[in-house]
Amino acid sequence: MTIIKPVESPTVTAPLSKNSALRWVRKNLFNSVFNTVLTFVMLYFVYVAGKGMWSWGITDAVWIADTRRECFAISIDGACWAGVYAWFDNIFYGRYPREELWRINLGLVCLVIWMVPLWLPRVKAKISIGMTTVFLYPFLAGYLFSGGAKGVFMQFMVTAAIVCLLVNTLHAIVGVCSGRSLLEFIVTLFGKKNASSKRGRNILVGLFAIIFVVIYIWQMNWTVERIPWTKWGGLFLTLVISGIGIAMALPSGILLALGRRSNLTIVRVFSTTFIELFRSVPVITVLFMATTMFPLFMPQGFVLNKLVQVIIAVCMFNAAYMAETVRGGLQTIPKRQFEAAHTIGLGYWQTMGLIIMPQALKHMIPNIVGNFITLLKDTTLVSIIGLFDVLGMLRSISKDSPWLGLHKEPLVFGAFLFFVICFAMSKYSRHLEVKLSTSHKK
Amino acid sequence: MKLATLLLTSVVAFAVMAAPVAASTGDTLDIVKKRGYLRCQVGTPSGGFYNLDADGNWYGLDVSVCEAVAAAIFGDKNKMEIQSVSSQARFTALANGESDLLSRTATWTISRDTQLGLDFVTPNFYDGQGFTVLKSSGITSALQLKGANVCVTTGTTSELNLTDYSRQHNLDINIVTFEDWNVRDDTYLKGGCDAVSIDKSSLAANIVSFPNPSEHLLLPETISKEPLGPAVRHGDNQWADLVRWSLFAMINAEELGVTSANVDEMRANSKNVDIRRMLGVEGNIHEGLGVSKDWAYNIIKQVGNYGENYEKYIGSGEGALGIQRKGTLNELWTNGGLMYSPPMR
Repeated sequence: MTIIKPVESPTVTAPLSKNSALRWVRKNLFNSVFNTVLTFVMLYFVYVAGKGMWSWGITDAVWIADTRRECFAISIDGACWAGVYAWFDNIFYGRYPREELWRINLGLVCLVIWMVPLWLPRVKAKISIGMTTVFLYPFLAGYLFSGGAKGVFMQFMVTAAIVCLLVNTLHAIVGVCSGRSLLEFIVTLFGKKNASSKRGRNILVGLFAIIFVVIYIWQMNWTVERIPWTKWGGLFLTLVISGIGIAMALPSGILLALGRRSNLTIVRVFSTTFIELFRSVPVITVLFMATTMFPLFMPQGFVLNKLVQVIIAVCMFNAAYMAETVRGGLQTIPKRQFEAAHTIGLGYWQTMGLIIMPQALKHMIPNIVGNFITLLKDTTLVSIIGLFDVLGMLRSISKDSPWLGLHKEPLVFGAFLFFVICFAMSKYSRHLEVKLSTSHKK
Repeated sequence: MKLATLLLTSVVAFAVMAAPVAASTGDTLDIVKKRGYLRCQVGTPSGGFYNLDADGNWYGLDVSVCEAVAAAIFGDKNKMEIQSVSSQARFTALANGESDLLSRTATWTISRDTQLGLDFVTPNFYDGQGFTVLKSSGITSALQLKGANVCVTTGTTSELNLTDYSRQHNLDINIVTFEDWNVRDDTYLKGGCDAVSIDKSSLAANIVSFPNPSEHLLLPETISKEPLGPAVRHGDNQWADLVRWSLFAMINAEELGVTSANVDEMRANSKNVDIRRMLGVEGNIHEGLGVSKDWAYNIIKQVGNYGENYEKYIGSGEGALGIQRKGTLNELWTNGGLMYSPPMR
């Protein structure tokens, strides 16, 4: 009888040939004569293409110059990035007055501050934060960007937006520090344990009212110079158009998709007509119709804001596409889900809101984000109808006297810019998919 | 039944859309004055005529016409908004009242003048189509282009002119069309075509933008007439008069030797009756135009005369295209050109 002693065998690192890069290369690239030849041929092509790009874009490129002629004088074959750099303000902000650029930056910072709590794990009430982003932020941003005198409604909404931003931020800070909501935190601050007590609620309401009034009075004297939309441009304009398009496409797409599946004839016919009409017409035609044809039927001298026309056209077009994506998602939901919802006594909107949509939307994330990316890229079509979005600006560089004929570099830069934005969006969608795929883990 | 209703609705909708647009008569000036600024249409940027600079401001010869009209009406050249409209939509945008004035290197032709509901006021630049070739090709005349590949951009009259010219001289030219002139020029530089053909002003500008300008040659032939000038809606003569005379004031000022630098002194001291009349010191030429007495003074003071603007944007000024004015049709009539203003009296 032998006694077996449990002796831990020493850990041995895997042989070098098992996990080294060399082994991977040999296994995947040189495992047969044919593959070896193929690898070398491909490497040669990559080298030829890469070398040209590298020397044109980096080694032979000119980074500092005042005119294209100077670029040529320094290096005749290289890229002239100096021209792109000189136009940075135009590319990012359009013709926005240079001393007012802080307003665009501030608007962007506000958006980031507003949205950051959505990503923080310990913060509660994310849905309300998301809703306020969609419904209140546009008023604050809209005023920051366009300026001018505020009407009573605008004053109210701007105040509401500022208060909301403050509350959101405090809520996020409290949430991150203590894991509680702002409501609970304030109530405990006043020595009340129970949030639902009447006194606590009164304190809260009073507090908010005071903050609201203070900010309202402050913002009455806060005005910024009016900047007409015709001065908007560059990446800023692209993001405004596509941002509104994205924010509007999903809700209206959901409504249209539900309308198309509705039992009410008028709703169904309207939704179907709308979707089919906009899906069958190229986006550029919709834009042309909206901007040049539409004013023909209006009284003389009546000019609707072209930007608004474009935004409406973009929204309608994308709502139609989104509706079909959503309908596709809805069709993946088995009928028993509807029946089960009916059985427990849920009405139509509750069934949709609580049972169907949460499941359907999860399936649709890749498609929805795909739509958003397409929308962002389609937005560049507005440069054809005379709005100077980022593409319009990039193409204008080649006509500016100091940079006459400079057109490759701006387009390469534009491609890079769009890649960064779109790739970030697609990565984020992947992240969301993983995060939300609770029931379909592999 | 349902389908029938749908069809009927769409037919009605299209009938409404196709209804003719009533031509406007005689109220553009009032509309502009009431609005407080001028809406002046240019195209997508074009070297020398309307460009954006790195700070987002518009400049160029055609932009200066917009400025002149704004200065005449409001006494402030900045009271205008430049609208950049694609060439497909340019005439519609004027017809539907979006723009008050079109100032964008549009060629004055009879069909445009009579069929598109617009009136060209007077040319502010006389251009003509020509050819650029490589010096090394040995070609020195357009008549040697037999069977050549010639690159042009689409959507302009240059394609039609070239076809006519080729037919007329039995040249059998192979026309290669491009949407974007940058791509056209790149193709030419890489040897994809033997010549490029477009208005000579553009050709001159393009040659300047090539890596080695001295390798290229502008052929002497001019195969077309391209009078470029501002246009307004047909039927509003009051407005057309104002635009026309704003431009004439710039030309006249050059002829009389009045510049933005000396206009103040001229207004105070000049004994020349023509100058005194133009600057509003005596007479009342402004009355028929519906603007203030010093309208021409404002144009010259703020925008400058025609020659100044030519040099600044097209000619030899810093950052200009470097197109010689001497010996071209754009010289004053006193120097053998076509720039001629009727008398201002």
